Amino acid sequence: MKERKSFTDSRFYPVLFMILITVIFIGILATFYHTTSHRVTAYRLYRLHATVLKLFDIPEGDDPFELTQEEVEKLFASRVVVDSLDVSTDEDPTYVHYEKYYKLVDGSETLGYAFPLVGSGLWGTIEAMISVTPDLATIRHFEIITQNETPGLGGRITEDWFKNQFINKRIIENNSVVRFQMIPEEDTPGSTQINQITGATASSGAIVKMLHDQFLKKTKAMGRDYE
Amino acid sequence: MNKKDIFVTAAFTENSVWRQVLGICSTLAVTNLMKNSLVMGLGVIFVLAFSNFTISMIRRFTPKNVRMMAQTLVIASFVIIVDIFLKAYMPAMSKALGPYVGLIITNCIIMGRAEAFAAKNTPFDSFIDGIGAGTGYTLVLLLISFVREITGFGTIFGSKIMGSWWTNWSIMVMAPSAFFMLAILIWIINGPIAAHKAKAGRR
Repeated sequence: MKERKSFTDSRFYPVLFMILITVIFIGILATFYHTTSHRVTAYRLYRLHATVLKLFDIPEGDDPFELTQEEVEKLFASRVVVDSLDVSTDEDPTYVHYEKYYKLVDGSETLGYAFPLVGSGLWGTIEAMISVTPDLATIRHFEIITQNETPGLGGRITEDWFKNQFINKRIIENNSVVRFQMIPEEDTPGSTQINQITGATASSGAIVKMLHDQFLKKTKAMGRDYE
Repeated sequence: MNKKDIFVTAAFTENSVWRQVLGICSTLAVTNLMKNSLVMGLGVIFVLAFSNFTISMIRRFTPKNVRMMAQTLVIASFVIIVDIFLKAYMPAMSKALGPYVGLIITNCIIMGRAEAFAAKNTPFDSFIDGIGAGTGYTLVLLLISFVREITGFGTIFGSKIMGSWWTNWSIMVMAPSAFFMLAILIWIINGPIAAHKAKAGRR
């Protein structure tokens, strides 16, 4: 007589087992993700808005990252206007692309602009932001949003001394966008020069290239004919 | 085995890093700052304890030929839970750890404990074993990052310890230093300390 096999010995059992536990665990994860996703999005928006406020020196002399989420959102809504630029190129008319930028306003007067910038670093994408005066000619602030450079070397692009050396530097000179020259860390820079990070020439160079290329693209989209 | 023995065996006697040489990739990757090491350690303890518990719960129903697939699924789910939790409730920490949280999935200690312990023992014992193995791992991370942070940055948990006379050793911040720090640690424990213990044991 043939021995009766239990269901757990059948070849379908492992398949059913895997399907069942996959459904259970994915279900748990999906529920958890959905109940927390609004918090994650709200936090990312708050980080972005606080960065924009910092670029515009609001609140004056204070760090917006020390304000609460509500305070940041309130200030942002009252002082900043979000707009977009058409950065589509003539080479491919089917490709339509818009990029956000930020305007600091006081009533009907525009007091400055802030643009998100993207470039390639040594290990990955660098995302940054720059704010400029209303005539677009002078840099007000420069901030790094995300980067994956080597900690302790290229990662030092997030240090204040590196970012702050762009403050009050002219980015438009003789009708063209300035490409900053890199000089050694300990030298004194001129108006179109910046101190590079020792041991991180590639990361410093990536910032300089990103500033030039991306700013040129933004000003073109705003109808300025810089070179 | 009582609960205390399970914990001590998992954390020290059979320490995953210095006895079994598992979990090396993450030991090398996150140990240049003590804060990163601590949070990574806590994440691993959580994932180890709960994945061990769950794997032990389903061990009687798990077909032998697909057990590794099932274990990976359970482990990955808990890692994603940690990742989502950090993003939603401790966003600053999540930002500091970056991609390391996701890398807990690839930590061989977790798969190792699932196979070696959770697949054969009761859920509660497995839970204790997970906490023990995780604690042993965290200890190693903190030891290595202590030396690397103080020599590489002159700080401990981010606060300045060394004076302005101190020159940071850049090599201690980069990956190579993790290799020789780990090697020195394994040598000290399996060489002089083990020899000393064996001698004391004979007496």
